[in-house]
Amino acid sequence: MFHWLEKNPFFFAVGVFVTIAFAGLVEILPNFAEQSRPVIGTKPYSTLELAGRHVYIKNSCNACHSQLVRPFKSETDRYGHYSLSGEYAYDRPFLWGSKRTGPDLMRVGNYRTTDWHENHMKSPASVVPNSIMPGYAWLFTNVADIDTAYAEQLTVAQFFSVPYNQPVPMKDGSTAVVKMGSSVADANALALAEAKVIVADMRDQDVKDAVASGKIPEIVALIAYLNSLK
Amino acid sequence: MENRPLEYDYTVAKMFMLTTIVLGIVGMLVGVILAFELAFPSINTILGSGLAEYTNFSRLRPLHTDAVIFGFTLSGIFSTWYYVGQRVLKVSMAESGLLMFLGKLHFWLYLVGVAAVVVSLLAGVTTSKEYAEFEWPIDIAIVVVWVIFGMSIFGLIGIRREKSLYISVWYYIATFLGIAMLYLFNNMEIPTILGTSAAGESGIGAWYHSVSMYAGTNDALVEWWYGHNAVAFGFTVPIVAMIYYFLPKESGQAIYSYKLSLLSFWGLMFLYLWAGGHHLLYSTVPDWMQTMGSIFSIILILPSWGSAINMLLTMKGEWQQVAASPLIKFMVLGSTFYMFSTLEGPIQAIKSVNAIAHFTDWIVGHVHDGVLGWVGFMIMAALFHMAPRVFKREIYSKSLMASQFWIQTVGVVLYFTSMWIAGITQGMMWRAHDEFGNLAYSFIDTVTVLHPYYAIRGVGGLLYLTGFLMFAYNMYKTMSARPVEESELQSASPMGA
Amino acid sequence: MDIAQFQAYGYFILIAILVLALYGYIYHLYTVRKDSDGHDYEEYSNMALNDDITDTPVSELSKENKK
Repeated sequence: MFHWLEKNPFFFAVGVFVTIAFAGLVEILPNFAEQSRPVIGTKPYSTLELAGRHVYIKNSCNACHSQLVRPFKSETDRYGHYSLSGEYAYDRPFLWGSKRTGPDLMRVGNYRTTDWHENHMKSPASVVPNSIMPGYAWLFTNVADIDTAYAEQLTVAQFFSVPYNQPVPMKDGSTAVVKMGSSVADANALALAEAKVIVADMRDQDVKDAVASGKIPEIVALIAYLNSLK
Repeated sequence: MENRPLEYDYTVAKMFMLTTIVLGIVGMLVGVILAFELAFPSINTILGSGLAEYTNFSRLRPLHTDAVIFGFTLSGIFSTWYYVGQRVLKVSMAESGLLMFLGKLHFWLYLVGVAAVVVSLLAGVTTSKEYAEFEWPIDIAIVVVWVIFGMSIFGLIGIRREKSLYISVWYYIATFLGIAMLYLFNNMEIPTILGTSAAGESGIGAWYHSVSMYAGTNDALVEWWYGHNAVAFGFTVPIVAMIYYFLPKESGQAIYSYKLSLLSFWGLMFLYLWAGGHHLLYSTVPDWMQTMGSIFSIILILPSWGSAINMLLTMKGEWQQVAASPLIKFMVLGSTFYMFSTLEGPIQAIKSVNAIAHFTDWIVGHVHDGVLGWVGFMIMAALFHMAPRVFKREIYSKSLMASQFWIQTVGVVLYFTSMWIAGITQGMMWRAHDEFGNLAYSFIDTVTVLHPYYAIRGVGGLLYLTGFLMFAYNMYKTMSARPVEESELQSASPMGA
Repeated sequence: MDIAQFQAYGYFILIAILVLALYGYIYHLYTVRKDSDGHDYEEYSNMALNDDITDTPVSELSKENKK
């Protein structure tokens, strides 16, 4: 019987496929039936935050920074509460990372400020002496891609029912609404309004001028995203 | 020409040999640059601050992993398939115009794919999912290339003269099926141009951008089911296929136990897929999956060692060949590193060990003793074995081969020892508390302490790259030498006296 | 029966079947030694050793056998 398999390439291939697919069937598929539900206090990303998330991905920040706090005292002491599955409900893709060359960023919004990030991104070693992180000067001149972030919001709202323009429950019992523009122009206006709040705390005059003239540098979007990580 | 006896046709194998060498140099060179960027951060702006965006660690890192996995290793797999496949099935590609056409199409489409990947990764177009960074247009191209590879495999099998499939062919079939399944499921994504605004606008933003079908924890689960098994079906299964052919052939010894090779095959196929969960220990995926990942990782030692021991025992009674032939040295050390990293992996998959090892350089060390010591050595050995036969010329220099072997071995040892120390040091420092229960070290303390190990690792990588350049030079001189062989070399080693 | 229970039973039964299949395979290989065509399994190593195009295959796939 076994030997028959070895001389019939087609059935051999079927046999191999069943053997390797088995693990996925038992292990992975059933978990999808139980989609992870957002925990209370988790909101979808705003347009500017999502554009910042794209900047984070574009520069592979996840190559050196994780976004996963493991349930150990040393980690909760250093980074805050350990991660919960529902906190990642709006993360497509997930950004857990696999290497901590730099610290975890899961809750960096709790303990770093706009001003800190601005200085750090320009010259990390000036803020953290001996840091081996390189500077990210180009983030101050490249313009963030708001249109693509908006397109992603539309896509996830359409295909995965992400609750934009709907009330989501917050920890203090109130509700919050994350707005999504009704057109490209509207989305850009919303992002610009968010950007103005961020730049108010920044020092770089070129960045301030760019935002005043309606352009949003990548650094502003990135800081909006990092501040949202809580 | 018409009356010439039928010969194996190695045209496609030769084409992929070239990309193996070129992409190997690219991947390893980028790797060495990355290693030194961690040790000496000023190298991040080596081409000036204007180009810093493209020479910076984070932007280059996916290029290194993908060039080594999908450039060097995959080319090596393709090249050896188009060599080994014909020989063990006893059928020449020259017998089928269609297979020849498919083989060449396979190569050229692959090359287009590689160019697209390099450009897109440098531009920062990435999905961020490790070893699956490509956006949807490139994903589609990769699927097409893969389907053609499958057609080549099954087409050649369809016209074979040998009724039974040799064990290497089993492993090549498994490579094809495994990667196909994993890649398709992990890259399920929706292009964002499909989103339509309330105002009726569509096709907004970058056309190549997409969003993953899975969110958060599920995305992580699928990604590491893929990521772990891309290692299985890219770095283990096809490399085992190579050693099962090239080691017996080069040494003239039959496989120690063919039956054991069959058993290990089914064991590996069944067990490997479960072990992906060990990348997600202490994360938010369900606990039972984490435990399952740990357990299966440990059981995985059995089939892995089954193959490795089978290979080492093939050399039984013929150990003088290891001393005499640098080529056998590469393969025997390769099997040894395979045993070594398939023991190290399960150790790291034990939950309490993983608590220290995860997120540290120990994991990087583990990947590299596997890839440099096992995958790299085996692919180079395969190409060294193939070169005299496909080019009908003797290998240019045997002593160059021997020096390359020792330089690279020292490189690998420096690499993994420094990364072990770095990883365990950092893992222990992260969790250290003082007598009052406060964290003993700030994060930056745990980074600065690694500097000497990062420097040693860079040197190790540089030695390996040097060896690889020697390999490339040796191959180049072999290809461009005058032909000396009248007929194809037989099983005797080209190194033999 | 919810999906987790179904998963657990399915997992257990399949593992049991696969263990039996694996041990059956080992038993089969080492007692029968020869396959249905009368070749000793170890002969198949020769597929690599004698792999020139003019060498005789271990078990030939004759033309008339092919459909």
